[in-house]
Amino acid sequence: MDKPIMNELIAELKVKIIDILNLQDVSPEGLDENARLVGGALGIDSIDVLEMVVMVEKDYGIAIDSQEVGEKVFSSIASLALYIKETAPGSSS
Amino acid sequence: MAKRVYIAGVGIISPLGKGLTATEEALRDNRSAIMPLEIFALLHGEPLPVGQVRGLDEQASPPRSHRLAHIAAMQAMASCDQPPDAVILGNTTGGILTTEQLLRDNVDNKELYRYHGLNSVVEYIAKEIGCSGPALAVSTACSSGAVAIAMALAMLRSGKAKAVLAGGVDSLCRLTYFGFHSLQLVDREGCRPLDADRHGMAVAEGAALLLLTTDKPDNPLAELLGAGLSCDAYHPAAPHPEGRGALMAMQAALADAGLDAAAIDYISLHGTGTPENDLAESKAINRLFATPPPLSSIKGATGHSLAASGAIEAVVSAIAVAKNFLPANTGCQNPDPALGLTPLMQPTSQRTTAVLSNSFGFGGNNGCLVITKPDRFSQPVPGRVKPGLAIHGCSCLTGAGNTAATMSLLAQGVPVAGMAGLDSISANLPSHMVRRLKRLPRMTLSLAIGAHNDSACEAKPSSVFMGTGWGALSETYDFLTRLTDSREQFPSPTDFVGSVHNGPAGQAAIMFGATGANITISGGDYSFEQALLAADLLIGEGKESCLVLGADEGHQVLSPLLDPSIAPGTLLADGGGAFCLSRKTEGAQCLVRIPFYQRSATEGCINSLIEALGGVQTLKSKYALLLAGIPAAVREEGEGQLARFMEQSGLKAPVIRYRKFAGEFASASAVAAVMAVSFLASGKIPGPLVSGDAPALESNKNAILVLGLGRYLSAMEFSRP
Repeated sequence: MDKPIMNELIAELKVKIIDILNLQDVSPEGLDENARLVGGALGIDSIDVLEMVVMVEKDYGIAIDSQEVGEKVFSSIASLALYIKETAPGSSS
Repeated sequence: MAKRVYIAGVGIISPLGKGLTATEEALRDNRSAIMPLEIFALLHGEPLPVGQVRGLDEQASPPRSHRLAHIAAMQAMASCDQPPDAVILGNTTGGILTTEQLLRDNVDNKELYRYHGLNSVVEYIAKEIGCSGPALAVSTACSSGAVAIAMALAMLRSGKAKAVLAGGVDSLCRLTYFGFHSLQLVDREGCRPLDADRHGMAVAEGAALLLLTTDKPDNPLAELLGAGLSCDAYHPAAPHPEGRGALMAMQAALADAGLDAAAIDYISLHGTGTPENDLAESKAINRLFATPPPLSSIKGATGHSLAASGAIEAVVSAIAVAKNFLPANTGCQNPDPALGLTPLMQPTSQRTTAVLSNSFGFGGNNGCLVITKPDRFSQPVPGRVKPGLAIHGCSCLTGAGNTAATMSLLAQGVPVAGMAGLDSISANLPSHMVRRLKRLPRMTLSLAIGAHNDSACEAKPSSVFMGTGWGALSETYDFLTRLTDSREQFPSPTDFVGSVHNGPAGQAAIMFGATGANITISGGDYSFEQALLAADLLIGEGKESCLVLGADEGHQVLSPLLDPSIAPGTLLADGGGAFCLSRKTEGAQCLVRIPFYQRSATEGCINSLIEALGGVQTLKSKYALLLAGIPAAVREEGEGQLARFMEQSGLKAPVIRYRKFAGEFASASAVAAVMAVSFLASGKIPGPLVSGDAPALESNKNAILVLGLGRYLSAMEFSRP
């Protein structure tokens, strides 16, 4: 996997997530991409997951409409980035 | 004397058909009426399956909800020549189907928005059937219909009414269609409650109304034996995973009916078909019933008609006991073994005496009803006349800020009208708690904390009664705007959850862990008064306290379109007031009661008001001040009523027209109520407000009257203990 591209995607996702979930007092640097995203210290719940689902569909053209897939994909920001990378239209992997 | 409450008449219109006979036939056929959406066009994509009412005349006005409710009301009242004493209608969408289109077309003629408000539906029905008593719009999401019926039961038992028309209505609209879809709660294959492969609900529409009476009719369909309310106080949209609130509501309904679980021989499930709801409900049932009786959800046949569903299912429960007929769990092929329930796979004829009907909703709002064959069970124990309500703490928000800031300006006679600052509506709220909350829920939480802190109560309030004229306008507007801007592709699940009228009260329940009744009521300019009425009906005599509040937000686009009192150029104002109440007078700041609430267009209304206040002599010797609420839209009418009241009562007390100071917004009367409490506490009325010397509140003349004038006449009385 292309590490710099992944890192860029992760950085981009952090900014987007902070924005759409209105995570106050949180900076992109303060977000650990490997930490548990849902139900962790940030208080992210099922409604937030759905808001992120909309973002992923709108910005990356990827629909996530099953709870099973959602649970895996949103386990951390790193797993979300990996899923987007692998599933994005035109992705080579 | 104990009062039995009979179901004297019913009206029903749903995707299954119009009227009791058509409904019963469809249920006997075990037929699903769920089909792809037709009533409005989509910009793209396949329409999702919904439950829609067929054959409703196409007409522009009034909106679809109003027409559905009207049809049900006419049926329910068909065999009765007397209007009921009150109408209580559960409703979550009002005229929004019409509003959505008007907003898309950029229509700014506010006359066309006059049927937007939830209260417009119930007031329309009350007018059509000639009811001059309270017309209350209950909005507790998907339990609204059941909660409205529970409130009617309390009103009938209290003796304040002998006949109440109660139920629920909702029409399909873009808000709910796209909203539930954005939450991934819609099953593309229809709706399969309790099925192992269930994937969600089918959004639907309909209306059902029950004429409930304490005088026994010739052939009552059934008896409403009990009702129970609770709140999960867990999450804005998801049910408590163990069904905690569901269990509490079922237990409360059984206790209220005086029945053991074993007496129930059918359960009409909430059974929406979402994985979470059905699982939580099954856990609650399996905890309450050693062996659950026959049970089914009809939502695989009707879809989920939201506020109407509790009332529709109450009618189906009445059919069950009247006809000894139990409907099937339509849509379920393979019952989910994880639920541990055995739903009725076929319509069944079986002797049925007592039915439990479940309704649960967003905000964790739960309402359960017990419906039985008439006169079959012993009469419920008559309740004593409850003592009055006592105020233990209060707070307000206005354009000036919090209570202290507001009262300090008012003391100088300076108006406090304006939009409450973001700082003041977010005061004391940690950022993680409010990151998803826009204006109204922030105000609500801030007011709730303020009222609780002002009280000496250690325990937090266990139930919540909230009045709001317009609900969460920011969330509603943002949801519809993003829906339109994204060409219906990316509606916001967060805004949808936030847009429901009972969202803010649900947030207050979560914050306080308030698992008792949680009622949001939307009565236009009388929303706070209606919340107080609801609290008076439902709070018990125990030590527990409740939170009663009224709040509305000003919205740059929607307020001028929707609120008839906001003309172009009117200063946008918002805010509200909150109170910690209980029936314990010890240590109370003051007492409150609401002795009068009636439509003003009836003959002799002013006289009835004077009588309800104890007559001319009492009134003159008691009230030191009158706070008059005259919304700008009805100024002439309201001033006329006020002049007649002053003349006929001979009251010489000073009058403050409080909207001049608090501003034009629906729940301004909640601010007036805080003014009354504050004046009573300080013992004096600020002179500048009444243009003269500060009149003192004397020991013998120590009550303040807050009148609501206009389409309805209401009276709240605040006095020292």
